[in-house]
Amino acid sequence: MKLMMDFISRFDSTFHFDEKFVVEEGNRFFLLNANLKKLAMEGFFYAGTYLGKVKKDRFFPSFPLLSMMAEGKANKMIVDKKTEWLFICGRDVFKQGITKVVGSKKKGAYTLIINQHGECLGFGRITVDLDETKRGVAVRNISDIGDFLRREKAR
Amino acid sequence: MSGREFFTNRYEKLGWKYQDIKLRQSIRTNASPPRKADAVKRLQLLGVKLEKIPFLQNGNWVKEARFSVGATSEYLLGLYSVQEAAAQIPATLFTDIRDKTVLDACAAPGGKTVQLADLMQNTGVIIALDIKKERLRALANQLERCHVCNAIVYEMDARQAARLNVKFDRILLDVPCSGNFAIDANWFRQRTIEDAERNAKLQREILKETTAVLKNDGEIVYSTCSLEPEEDELNIDWATKNLNLKVENIDCYGEEGLTDIFGKKLDASVRNCRRIWPGQTQGFFICKLKKQVDAS
Repeated sequence: MKLMMDFISRFDSTFHFDEKFVVEEGNRFFLLNANLKKLAMEGFFYAGTYLGKVKKDRFFPSFPLLSMMAEGKANKMIVDKKTEWLFICGRDVFKQGITKVVGSKKKGAYTLIINQHGECLGFGRITVDLDETKRGVAVRNISDIGDFLRREKAR
Repeated sequence: MSGREFFTNRYEKLGWKYQDIKLRQSIRTNASPPRKADAVKRLQLLGVKLEKIPFLQNGNWVKEARFSVGATSEYLLGLYSVQEAAAQIPATLFTDIRDKTVLDACAAPGGKTVQLADLMQNTGVIIALDIKKERLRALANQLERCHVCNAIVYEMDARQAARLNVKFDRILLDVPCSGNFAIDANWFRQRTIEDAERNAKLQREILKETTAVLKNDGEIVYSTCSLEPEEDELNIDWATKNLNLKVENIDCYGEEGLTDIFGKKLDASVRNCRRIWPGQTQGFFICKLKKQVDAS
């Protein structure tokens, strides 16, 4: 739980949830509502909203968690259509493809990547101070929704 | 007993003349909040030509696309799913599904589970079961991609549903079946009538065990993508006679269920089922059953 909260705080996010509805199953975390919590038996495979998993002391967020974070205050970067496509193919974000920055522009900051419709595509880490660069890689891709296809191919 | 000739002769005796089928790809848009985005409009802007499926509220055939519609950001964001047209029908047949406790007894790979969640607008609870872990991973992926938040998934055989200690308002039984030639090019070479009989037995066991966890007046929607009457009308006829289930009238695409199977007369209510011979869609069979109030 602490690793997940630390992860969320890296985005200067205000997102929070009632911890009593967070259930840990193996190394994975799920957010349940009262109805689900009443019915969920031990050993379920999936329940409610998947939040992410912990592996080797690192937290790997789910895409629903990133989307929930994107609905509130958090570091966000809105990108154009071409950059959206490249990003979901696993590529980094170039400065030229960014149409708006919300929150930190500092090198090393974590940021959510958002498309023109306000939908969260994943997240990355800013590689340069954004005010001091005009071109080149601005955000290193850490995780993107193209992962759903990669998981299917891996099976 | 197997082979193309054997099966096509059977179909002819049941009233359908075999024809080669080329299935069209279809999608189903997820309509429930907070999905405000118009997936159809966005796909059209990407150059995808769609045709509304007349018998489905949220279904479209893909007429033309220069890329895979299963790899767009709209797909990855869960705005729509790639789902065969006939397979989109069963989940729509339940009445008053919002806020209900629903069992999706043979759920993987999860297309219908996502559809149920969408129809329920993520209210109530869906309990989804499947027996194969690998298929559960595919199901979990679908739930995550489409932001489903009202489902609990277990690795469990549908025949053990009583272990859940839950009584359900609605049960979707998209049971394991023999499939049909329209979705499998090798179907005639690989299937025998013994497969259909074996599947029919398993399907009856699933029907029996899940009816036991259905509330009085609750509904079961039973579907297969098999054209073999052993898995379809004959099983439903058995269910009406042995499980105190009544076949409900449904208003959906397809022909009336058969009540004369190779000379065997079935209960007249089996006519309320829907049999879909391959053509516009794959082969499919659907029916809605209601548990009688006086059932034990």
